[in-house]
Amino acid sequence: MEIYNKFLHTLVEWQYELNSYISTTIRSLNDESSLSTSIFILGIAFIYGLIHAAGPGHGKALVALYFTSNQSAYTKAFKMGYMISIIHAISALIFTFGIFFILKTMFRNNFNEFSDIAMLISAIMIILVGLYLMYEAYSGRKYKERKVEKSSKSEVAVAFSAGIVPCPGVMTIVLFCIVLGQFTLGILAAIAMSVGMGLTISLAGIFSIALRKRAGGFLNEKTYILEMIGGLVIFSLGVFLLLATSSLFSSRIHY
Amino acid sequence: MKIVFILSLFISFLFSHPHTFIDVYPTVKIKSEATTTLNFKWILDDMTSSILVMELDKNGNGKIDENENSHIYSEYFSIFKEYDYYTYIIVNGKNIKLPKPENFRATIQNNKICYSFDIKLNNNIKDIVFEFGDSSYYVGMILKAKFVDANGLSIKISKVDNDIYYGYRLELR
Repeated sequence: MEIYNKFLHTLVEWQYELNSYISTTIRSLNDESSLSTSIFILGIAFIYGLIHAAGPGHGKALVALYFTSNQSAYTKAFKMGYMISIIHAISALIFTFGIFFILKTMFRNNFNEFSDIAMLISAIMIILVGLYLMYEAYSGRKYKERKVEKSSKSEVAVAFSAGIVPCPGVMTIVLFCIVLGQFTLGILAAIAMSVGMGLTISLAGIFSIALRKRAGGFLNEKTYILEMIGGLVIFSLGVFLLLATSSLFSSRIHY
Repeated sequence: MKIVFILSLFISFLFSHPHTFIDVYPTVKIKSEATTTLNFKWILDDMTSSILVMELDKNGNGKIDENENSHIYSEYFSIFKEYDYYTYIIVNGKNIKLPKPENFRATIQNNKICYSFDIKLNNNIKDIVFEFGDSSYYVGMILKAKFVDANGLSIKISKVDNDIYYGYRLELR
């Protein structure tokens, strides 16, 4: 665990540098600024997203669990990572712009509240995904041919539960751009960050698929048992999130 | 077992990752055999500051007035108590409770929100170790040697990577 702790600490430091670099660069932008500066900022936003998602959270656990318990090709992991990115970027933009324009002066309070509600929705969805996966594993234990149809449906569900909670990191950058009047840049930065995050999440998925492939023959025989356990674990993850979110409701402060 | 391992690995760090960074500027004000007073200045990162300013600078005059300061103290700053102000005091190897911060003042400097406050301790500074970190991993506390005004003492800064928080340790000798 010590290595993991060191790794996380290094991530904090990288993000600190990138965060201050992005804000300084965006601040220095003006009407005469060149296109290349904007593209450069987007590049940084992409890397920031990549590193940011390597930290805790962001649905990596969910994706990893899903792929550990379900047979999938590597390309599926990318598909999943990018589904999450897209859902995430859209959700973050809607939340940020919506709340900013509707409730300008009370932004911070409401952001916390909305973020909690989104987390709650996500927790409930994860619980449902877990239940659904267990149900599918149980009812499909003798009918392997049904698998293909099943997996695409549950993948969307997994991606949706992981992506629906807008990341405060992305929202902060978008909001910072809005405050400085850089609307388009804000939107593009959110997309760039989400794409970076999607790549990291995809890698977590690939890692899990590789893990499962190595587990080999025995598991393939008893696929439904593994799927059942995976479903159960995802279900528990949802319950955990739900409990944690409800406790956050009572003591939520960030600044 | 692998699933259990992965789960336990992720679940303990599920929620957070720094979204806000605070530069910590400690200044040694009083150092005697029996007492130590330090001023801490927190400088919030540019992005967080620009968003918070909308809310904290209520009349929009670009500075924090006296009544805005009291509002920030009661509604924002004092809530950090629950998180021990992300500051941990260790005297002779034992954690002690952080005294109540005094002389709180919020300002805006170069578009950034600054919180300044004093901490008085009944210990010799040479017996004290300071650690800065957020166990909820939401705030990244950043300490660099150039942030410290040690009033003639030597500065030792090291990283803290315990299982509770990631941060920095400061020793002034």
